[in-house]
Amino acid sequence: MLHCDDDDLAVIALGEPASPTDETHLRDCARCRAHLEQLAAVVASGRALTESDHPVTPPAAVWTSIAAELAEGPQATVTPITSARRSGRSRLWLVAAAAAAVGVLAGGALVGGLLGDRNAPELVAEAALTQVEDSGFAGQAMIERSSSGNVLTVSVPDLPLVADGYYEVWMATADTSTMVAIGTLNPGHVGHFALPDGMDVNAFPVIDVSVEHFDGNAGHSITSVVRGQLPV
Amino acid sequence: MSHTERDSPPGAVRSAGITLELRVRAEADAAIAARFQTGDDSALAEAYQRWSPLVYTSALRATGNAADAADVTQAVFVSAWRGRHGFDPAKGSLPGWIMTITRRRIADHWEERSRDSRRVSAVAATVAEEASAPSADAAVDRVLLADELERLGQPQRRIIELAFYQDLTHGQIASLLDLPLGTVKSHIRRSLDRLRTRLEVDRVAL
Repeated sequence: MLHCDDDDLAVIALGEPASPTDETHLRDCARCRAHLEQLAAVVASGRALTESDHPVTPPAAVWTSIAAELAEGPQATVTPITSARRSGRSRLWLVAAAAAAVGVLAGGALVGGLLGDRNAPELVAEAALTQVEDSGFAGQAMIERSSSGNVLTVSVPDLPLVADGYYEVWMATADTSTMVAIGTLNPGHVGHFALPDGMDVNAFPVIDVSVEHFDGNAGHSITSVVRGQLPV
Repeated sequence: MSHTERDSPPGAVRSAGITLELRVRAEADAAIAARFQTGDDSALAEAYQRWSPLVYTSALRATGNAADAADVTQAVFVSAWRGRHGFDPAKGSLPGWIMTITRRRIADHWEERSRDSRRVSAVAATVAEEASAPSADAAVDRVLLADELERLGQPQRRIIELAFYQDLTHGQIASLLDLPLGTVKSHIRRSLDRLRTRLEVDRVAL
């Protein structure tokens, strides 16, 4: 017996008409029919996706709460989830921030339209991220408002992996006196970060990406790779 | 176009279509899993970085509430870490296990909700209970699919988007992107297989 070609089954699953041969075969062959049903289920789920299904990084306070709960033992009271507001621990960072060249991106599609225009979120602000201290990297950041809240999207192409470390995205006040840890940016990925409800994004226009290490130190490492300022 | 019969079951045939990227990712996941099992807490931090967006967004989609999603995310990683001795790599991947815990925690969340509302209204509780199990699974599957779609390279991602969201036929996509018909068709087949595989590997028995 000749089974349906896998490529043909894939386009049939998308709703294209089956050839008469395939149609006859599908009527008789449970195996091909099962395969088609599996593919059709993937197509149906895929078509039903909306922008809100797009993975977003949880607010940084979630990790802080996990670390606190694990440190305190099983009976511990869970730390309330609130926006993690931290102070910069180094004046060096402030100097670097003040010296950073800041550019505003005109227009420019940052993220490809994964899910078309369905429930299109509203663009709040966007900015170019430029290199800090000859890091050689550049990127883009934008904040969008959707029904589930504000989402910060950060893209820094070509970031290398950090040995024993990772990249952290921060939002800071214009004078960088107060910084909020937003979440982790993994190399090779565009980062989507849900911003805490109630966080006034206008108060934190500086977007910074730093190199952090697995050292348990919650503050900014001072080593930034890119930075930019949202025109808010 | 047809080919001769193969004896292997459909799942085995299609698993040969898993891309190199999926294999590399599985190996990286296994390396984190090995350290996670031995209680290396930097592996917990890495697991959180990699998979917390999937957990959080699934919870957000299922509960519709950022504070509840944060609570579920916290509960998932705390119980994964405390229960790490129960993780069996022979049964599946670490992200698969974490997503299975996520499905459970979302269901727990709904159960608590329905217990609360039972005091208020028996009818509402029944509705909430009936909605719980499918909504957790559906929310997780949708987030996994969205994540995998985003990981597709080009032109595969563009092709799938045109087929899914613009309802173009593979012939229309081929002429739009100026690609051979057969190329578009096999990209569609591989991408659908990859999406389907992702849903399977991230569903693990506890």
